[in-house]
Parts: sequence; C-alpha cells; structure tokens
Amino acid sequence: MAGLKTIIALSFVLAIGFLLVILSSALWKNYLPLLVVATYVVAPLPNWICSRAANSDDFMENGGSGVVDFGRFMTGFLVVMGIALPALFAHCGMISYSAMLMSIVGGLLIYGTIISFSMFFQEDEEF
Amino acid sequence: MSSHPFRFPKPQWLNSATTRTAGVYISGALFSLGFYFFIDASTYSKSARNGSTHHITFVDWIPGICSALGMLVINSIDKTRLGADSFSYSGNGVAWKARLVLFLGFALLAGGLAGSVTVLVLKYLVNSVVWPTLWFGVANVVANALIMMRYVCGVQLREWWEYANEVDSSAVLWVAQNMEDEYTYNLAL
Repeated sequence: MAGLKTIIALSFVLAIGFLLVILSSALWKNYLPLLVVATYVVAPLPNWICSRAANSDDFMENGGSGVVDFGRFMTGFLVVMGIALPALFAHCGMISYSAMLMSIVGGLLIYGTIISFSMFFQEDEEF
Repeated sequence: MSSHPFRFPKPQWLNSATTRTAGVYISGALFSLGFYFFIDASTYSKSARNGSTHHITFVDWIPGICSALGMLVINSIDKTRLGADSFSYSGNGVAWKARLVLFLGFALLAGGLAGSVTVLVLKYLVNSVVWPTLWFGVANVVANALIMMRYVCGVQLREWWEYANEVDSSAVLWVAQNMEDEYTYNLAL
C-alpha cells in the first residue's frame, strides 16, 4: 500500500506546506506564522503519549480510559489552534490577511501529511 | 428498542465507538474555538486597532475561568459512580458525593455563561459601546457558549454510548430510577 509513490507524494505535499508557511512569514518579515508549524508538529503527540500511557488491561473501564480521551481532547484542541492562531493574529493586525490564508493552508497541508503518513505506516506495523 | 416514548428511533450510528471518538475530538475542537475567541478579544484589546478606552480586564476573565473549572469538575467525575449506591461493596454515599460534585460542575458551567452575559450587558451594553469594542463582550459570550457546547457534544455522546451499550448495568439502573426530567430521558435512550 504505502509504496514509493506515496512517500514521494507526501513529501511533495509537505514541502509545499512548508513553502507556504515560510513565504507567509518571510514575505512580510514577520515570523509569527511559524507558530502554526510548531502547533501542527505537536498536535499528534498527545494522542501517541496517552495511548502509550493508558492501561491495556483495564477491562473494567468501558469505552476507552480517561487518559486516552484526554489525549484526543488535546489533539482536537491543537488542530483547531493551528487555524485559530493565524486568524487571531490577522484580526488583531499582527499579520496581514493574505499571510493568514497562506499559513492556514500550509499548516493544513503539513498536518495532513503527518496524519496520512502515520496512517499508512501504522497499518504496516500492526499486521 | 422501545424503552423511550418517542416515535423516532435513536439513530444507530450514535452507538458506535467511532462516533464517540469523534465526539471527543469535536469537544476538544469546540473548547479550543471558544478559548481562542476570548484570547482574540483580549489580544485585540491590547493591539493598535483598539481605538477605544475600553479594555479587557480581569472582570472579563472570570466567566471563562468559571466555565473552564466547571468543565474540569464535570469531566473528573467517573460517571459510573452515579449508580454506586446499588453496589453492595461500595462505600456509603459515593453516589451522593458524585451527584453533589457534578451539580457543582454544572453550576459553574451555567454560572460562566450567565456571567459572560452579565459582563456583556453591564460593562458594554449599558455604556452604549459601539461595534469594534462591543466584540469584547460578544466574544466572551461566544467563548462560554462554545465551552458549554463542548460539554454537550463530548460528554453527552460518551454517555449516550455508554448507556446505549448497557455496559454498566448499575448506571442504567440509576437512570431508570431517576427518569423524571428530560435530561435523563436523553440518557435513558
């Protein structure tokens, strides 16, 4: 499934995403949009950490433990933060609206790459 | 599935684990959205675009703090403890304590929303503040409403799922014992 073509396509999308985010900050000499990259890189981490931290043998607990839920909650929080942060900066006049657009699109591309990459390779690990 | 009096059946997809996971993600997203609405208002208050003399002060923060605390309290309660009195081996009054703390959480959440409306009216509407500055008050209300929505989406879905699968019979028992208001009707399917 996860062949060479997938990897090439994913890296291409990742490069475009980084290009957009770096352009959005470098064109205006204002490096606040780079925070979007940091947010999206951190976003999948709570899920990974909390799925490791959860007890696998707590069969008494129904429907996933609280720790796993907390990780998902934090991931959802961070993903929306990646969109909300540029919008906030633009609304408060710290970056321009076109920079906001570029950093949001670039951030979504980066996050999409991370998610699809982990999806492709988790399948290989499990089976 | 005729355990509720309504003509429309509860959709099956509400019972799935995927829906529940999506609910948790959505709840995080809604909380984030509410949080950043308010952060946006406070940043705008400090930014160069704010031409007025009004600013976000600590008073504006209190409703948000109440809502966040209420959310924390509600989610730290193990919902299965609500029916713990029917267990023979649980200590005395566990369910009573759980209900009390849950009530405190709901009160904090509702108090946060009501407080944000109070701030909007008393600090901004009464002083006849115009739009760009009125955003401070409106964003506060929106933020608190979203945090409350967060609860509705996240926890409600989880509870629906838990009760739907009847994984914890004592919790279902608690619902059956307390079928009085509309809220428990929701939980009881």
